Amino acid sequence: MSESLNYKFLWDTFFVALSGVPVTLFVTVVALLIALPAGFLLALTRINKIPILNRLAQVYVSFVRGTPVIIQIFIVYSSVPLLLDSFFKANSINMKIYEVNPIWYAFIVFSFNTTAILIEVFRSALGTVPKGQLEAAHSVGLTNFQAYRRIIIPQALVVAMPNICTATVNLIKATSLGYAMSLQEITLKAKVAANAGYNYVEAYIDIFIVYLILCSLVEFAFKRYEQRLARYKPASA
Amino acid sequence: MLEIKDIHKSFGDNEVLKGVDIRIDKGDVVVILGPSGSGKTTLLRCINFLDRANKGSASFDDVHIDFNTVSKKQIHDIRQKIAFVFQNYNLFANKTALENVTEGLVIGRKVRKKEAEEIAKQALDKVGLSHKYNAYPSELSGGQQQRVGIARAVALNPDIILFDEPTSALDPELVGEVLAVMKDIANEGTTMLVVTHEMSFAKDVANRVIFMDDGVIVEEGSPTDIFIRPKEERTQKFLKRVLPEDYTFYI
Ligand SMILES: Nc1ncnc2c1ncn2[C@@H]1O[C@H](COP(=O)(O)OP(=O)(O)OP(=O)(O)O)[C@@H](O)[C@H]1O
Ligand SMILES: [Mg+2]
Repeated sequence: MSESLNYKFLWDTFFVALSGVPVTLFVTVVALLIALPAGFLLALTRINKIPILNRLAQVYVSFVRGTPVIIQIFIVYSSVPLLLDSFFKANSINMKIYEVNPIWYAFIVFSFNTTAILIEVFRSALGTVPKGQLEAAHSVGLTNFQAYRRIIIPQALVVAMPNICTATVNLIKATSLGYAMSLQEITLKAKVAANAGYNYVEAYIDIFIVYLILCSLVEFAFKRYEQRLARYKPASA
Repeated sequence: MLEIKDIHKSFGDNEVLKGVDIRIDKGDVVVILGPSGSGKTTLLRCINFLDRANKGSASFDDVHIDFNTVSKKQIHDIRQKIAFVFQNYNLFANKTALENVTEGLVIGRKVRKKEAEEIAKQALDKVGLSHKYNAYPSELSGGQQQRVGIARAVALNPDIILFDEPTSALDPELVGEVLAVMKDIANEGTTMLVVTHEMSFAKDVANRVIFMDDGVIVEEGSPTDIFIRPKEERTQKFLKRVLPEDYTFYI
């Protein structure tokens, strides 16, 4: 290893790390697009105590929250191909399962993971909207669906937004674990660049800075959006 | 117009309504009195299906339902005819005063937005809130919020408005403004079923008073019947407790 930092490498690798941003964001956005509605619907099953589904959601949440993401990645990355492979073989479908782009596994792991987080986020947020809001909506002739869409969800969203922001930032950071399944995201790209000359310190600094910028931007965007949403004060119970 | 027969409601083992009959004709202003826990709120909530009665039937003009077999569609139809004013207002926190009133018109009743805004402004003007169209509930006093609540009900032009203790969450100095508004709309011929502890409203505005206790109607009649010549001992005891001490009635 060199005595001091290799500034040229530091500079060049910054852009290598940056080139991983699209993959990181792609995984993040897909995971959110799946997890937001799924988490919301499952939160509803929890709140309304829908038999079976409610229990399933509860168990699912404790499984995901009770295990490290890296282990979830290992499990999905190693078991899903095995399962699919035997399924394809059994049905004589010709598909080379080990050539599948790892981004698909990333979608699965991070959607699953984020859904579990968001179930709890939405559950507590929906719980803060007083029951009287739904009753008042019914009393002026709104259907359940209209009441949720126009009265309950907008209010719950304001409460949930800071936690959705945290979940999103955590998700972005968690995608760095994607390197464990060769996902071409920020961390992997920078580390690969570092391998040749053992410039790990420089690479880590670059990774650090890229995530910092990314997460700060996301937080800033959320803060702006929160301010736009919260023009009113929540109903007191 | 509205006729409820033999309505029963239990929460677990606790039977709260033990067979109540009520008949309300167009233009009636009916006040329900009764001690705390006698089932007044539950009765109103069952009429509007916010709580589900266990037994009984109801006729609303041409709509006849049995509480056991009522369909979603029937509930929706009946709710279109009824408006509700809540004890703690329950204004939509994410909507302005004006939007609180238009919401039910535009979404529930499919009135065009422009037209709904005209109706809503008229309703808010009527309750003295012409200057608060764009205020959010959190920016209004309790009395103002409840007046929006009344405007929201009136604007729907329902066949009947149910009031559940509309003034009991208010600071004493704000009660008057809300009662005045209620009196106005009663004088315009609005059909109202009102649960209240405001005896003056019952005496001056109601044309019929119902005394409820322990899940049944003990006695009902004109304000004079109830306040001057109550027949039942339970009614007398209750009135002794809630009316000024020098108040006497003839037995
Ligand atoms: N959601 C509920 N679950 C269980 N019990 C309930 C529920 N709502 C009301 N009750 C019970 O039903 C009874 C009647 O309540 P209700 O609210 O109808 O009385 P009320 O006449 O309106 O009293 P108040 O004058 O205090 O408002 C009470 O014993 C109350 O504890
Ligand atoms: Mg009550």
